[in-house]
Amino acid sequence: MSVRSTTSRSALAAIAANRFGYGVRPGEIGAIAGDPRGWLKAQLRPEAGPPALLAQLPPAEDDILTIGRYFLSLRLNGANGANARARLEREGATPAMVEDLTEERYRSFFRDRYLAAVTARFNVAIASPKPAFERLVAFWANHFTVSTAKPQIMSLPQSFEREVARAYACGRFSDLLMASTRHPGMATYLDNVVSIGPNSVWARQPRRAPRTPMAGGRPTGLNENLAREVLELHSLGVNGGYAQADVRALALLITGWMYDRPAPLSYLGEAKGTRSGPQMFKFEAEAHEPGPKTLLGKAYPEGLDGGTAALRDLSRHPSTARHIATKLVRHYVSDEPPAACVDRVARAFLDSDGVIATVMGALIDSPEAWVETPSKFKRPDEFFISAMRAFGLNEAPSQAIAIGLERMGQRPYFAPGPDGWSDMADAWMSGDLVWKRLEWSQQAGERMARADINIARLAGDVLGPAVSAATAQAIARAESPAQAVTLFLMSPEFQRR
Amino acid sequence: MSASSFSNWTRRGALGAMLGGVAVSFPSLGFAAQSDKRLVVIVLRGALDGLHAVPAFGDPDYVRARNGLALQPPGGAGRAFGLNDLFGLHPALKTVHGLYQSGKALIVHAAATGYRERSHFDAQNVLETGATAAFARDSGWLNAAMAALPAGRTAGRNERAIAIAQQAPLMLRGAAPVTTWSPSPLPDADSGTVARLLDLYGQTDPGLSGALTGALAANAIAMDAGMAMAGGGARAGRQIAPAAKAAAGFLKQPNGPVSVMIEMGGWDSHANQGQETGQIANMLVNLDDGIATLQTELGPVWEHTAVLVVTEFGRTVAANGNRGTDHGTAAAAFLIGGAVKGGRVIADWPGLAAGQLYERRDLRPTIDLRALCKGVLRDHLGIAEGALNREVFPDSAGIAAMSDLIVG
Repeated sequence: MSVRSTTSRSALAAIAANRFGYGVRPGEIGAIAGDPRGWLKAQLRPEAGPPALLAQLPPAEDDILTIGRYFLSLRLNGANGANARARLEREGATPAMVEDLTEERYRSFFRDRYLAAVTARFNVAIASPKPAFERLVAFWANHFTVSTAKPQIMSLPQSFEREVARAYACGRFSDLLMASTRHPGMATYLDNVVSIGPNSVWARQPRRAPRTPMAGGRPTGLNENLAREVLELHSLGVNGGYAQADVRALALLITGWMYDRPAPLSYLGEAKGTRSGPQMFKFEAEAHEPGPKTLLGKAYPEGLDGGTAALRDLSRHPSTARHIATKLVRHYVSDEPPAACVDRVARAFLDSDGVIATVMGALIDSPEAWVETPSKFKRPDEFFISAMRAFGLNEAPSQAIAIGLERMGQRPYFAPGPDGWSDMADAWMSGDLVWKRLEWSQQAGERMARADINIARLAGDVLGPAVSAATAQAIARAESPAQAVTLFLMSPEFQRR
Repeated sequence: MSASSFSNWTRRGALGAMLGGVAVSFPSLGFAAQSDKRLVVIVLRGALDGLHAVPAFGDPDYVRARNGLALQPPGGAGRAFGLNDLFGLHPALKTVHGLYQSGKALIVHAAATGYRERSHFDAQNVLETGATAAFARDSGWLNAAMAALPAGRTAGRNERAIAIAQQAPLMLRGAAPVTTWSPSPLPDADSGTVARLLDLYGQTDPGLSGALTGALAANAIAMDAGMAMAGGGARAGRQIAPAAKAAAGFLKQPNGPVSVMIEMGGWDSHANQGQETGQIANMLVNLDDGIATLQTELGPVWEHTAVLVVTEFGRTVAANGNRGTDHGTAAAAFLIGGAVKGGRVIADWPGLAAGQLYERRDLRPTIDLRALCKGVLRDHLGIAEGALNREVFPDSAGIAAMSDLIVG
């Protein structure tokens, strides 16, 4: 391609860092320029374990206990509080243990946990030497959205992201899809933990189903929510060739895909949950719909194996390859994914049986990914992280992250629905959101100007040869250092990648 | 942008120079409006259970078909309101009921877009584009309607429509000048910086240039309306009263928009949706508050206002295994306001017996939502039939606009 021969090495390095990573840290372009593609590919390997900042966050079981404690506190104060209390005391709770469960206490507990999770996630990305890996984790966390916007899962998105999106980011797509569908975060977000076979033991003998601390009582039948989104959003895609009957079949196949609930008394007191979501997965045979089911024309047997085989088949379906390829190309390359690039990435998906590192390799080797004109408008999270990296910072304060992102329209872990945050510029380039970015950039400018940085040099350092004469001139002619920083952050070259 | 920085801006006298060639006009205070008709569109995202909001008590299959979700029939404290022999109204919709009684609220039941699958995202796409299939176009019908407004209705306005939102909803995207607005607690952007950015974007980036220009126009109206920082929280969410207040602030301005769009999420009631009280009831209380806020805040403008409330599709008639409902097909829509000829339920009722349901599970659609929208756009905003059939709702000539929705 002519792109390769005419684009300078430092320009390629800037593209690698901006388009595939989270932007350039001062001095980084020189280190990448030797082999931009190699720099990217070396990052796309599974981690031995999460970075220290993330490793210290609680596992899914602890999130579940926290949510359960909160709901239990609400129930104890509700209309049937006396009954709930009597039941706990029959199970061995002391009155003092019950008194400890106050709503206020768990409400503030959530806020602290939320801020800790958001801070760790953003600061890992800001300081990361593997920004391409971090971007890929965020891509999968968005593809398999689990959102705090649903109160029943409040703190679970952070453990889901770490235990699913991060753990399987570069592995096989089938493992990622399986881990997502089995994780208590996803299963609760999309209601599969309360979906039971209409002819299951629990449907016929409701009292055999355990009570949960959540509202709503015992399930009585099927809930299609997760099955529909697995087909529509996670695997085949909405035009992937399935019908309503397939939605129902998959819902029946994954009935009983629940998790091993902590013992009732563990919701009292301070005990910490220790198990990850994958460790908690449990197939509840009594909630499973008996008999074989037919999905996309193929029969699957009753039991855990049936649903597992169905998900494996979905994960390697040609529609899934095309859906994932389209989303990857849209995320990395262009809002309007070039067909040739999508074809190449989809083929790599099918040929490698969904090995994500290989799929990403095909994308990195595509000439469409290296065109010099930036075709993506940064989302607020990318804009924020790349700004911190540009300033050479290693961390941002928790309130600055949470509040800044909320004002710019992307409150962390609060995607509005299971389809996640939009990857299209027109969702983010509204008058209001650009205005909020400008207000944030002005605040950042005032703060950074006090740090006495040479913004003209920094702009060249971070944007590379891509910086236009108009932007360079606007920065050079700024009336104050703070204004120069604001203009740099709001420049088209920094807003796009 | 607050009043003080806006006046700084105008005092500098740089406005005209900065905006040279940019398609936006700033307000001239005291401008007399050419037309006072106003349209508010409220989109309920997640799919409203229409049978929950507007139960069909008179249908012999109602209680059985809902499988445990039926409301108690009207007659008694906390129970639904009776509307006619067939329909009632959820007890949470108190304001709507009062408006119905005074002839200012109209309900259209068993209505749906032309979309017949059950994906939220495709369905919202069809609802907002007005096209016959998902992703058939990348602009919205409300924007197309704003582009087709008669000249007399657009003179002197900065923007023809505003979304009370951070992101421009698809329904409002397109060629006509529209923008988005939500209050900000951050310090104002410095006007000098804004001028430099407009200059920079003008040289190199039309997309960012358009967005920033739109933001300035909305800020100018917001400042006129004295709402630069009022209250906060006015954006898509489960509480819409703050957004309704902001909407009224814009609509009251003589140079304000013809239309405002408000979004309200949280209707996807897959589990424990409740009955007279509970999850959907709480959502309906918020919606009702929003309607009451619009009426109060609009003052005399309410008399010339129509509020259209629509959702992407309905939900299953029977409860699922969790006392909730899964994605369905037809739902109810509302048309409310001083300009509305209400006090009626318009429906070609399909019935709730198993054989009458769509695919034996959903309320069968018998009215196309586009007929309702077209009727409002034609008779309230004066948009020509030809534009409605082609540009606003493509290929919709076969779907006749409803008549008699608007006070003559």
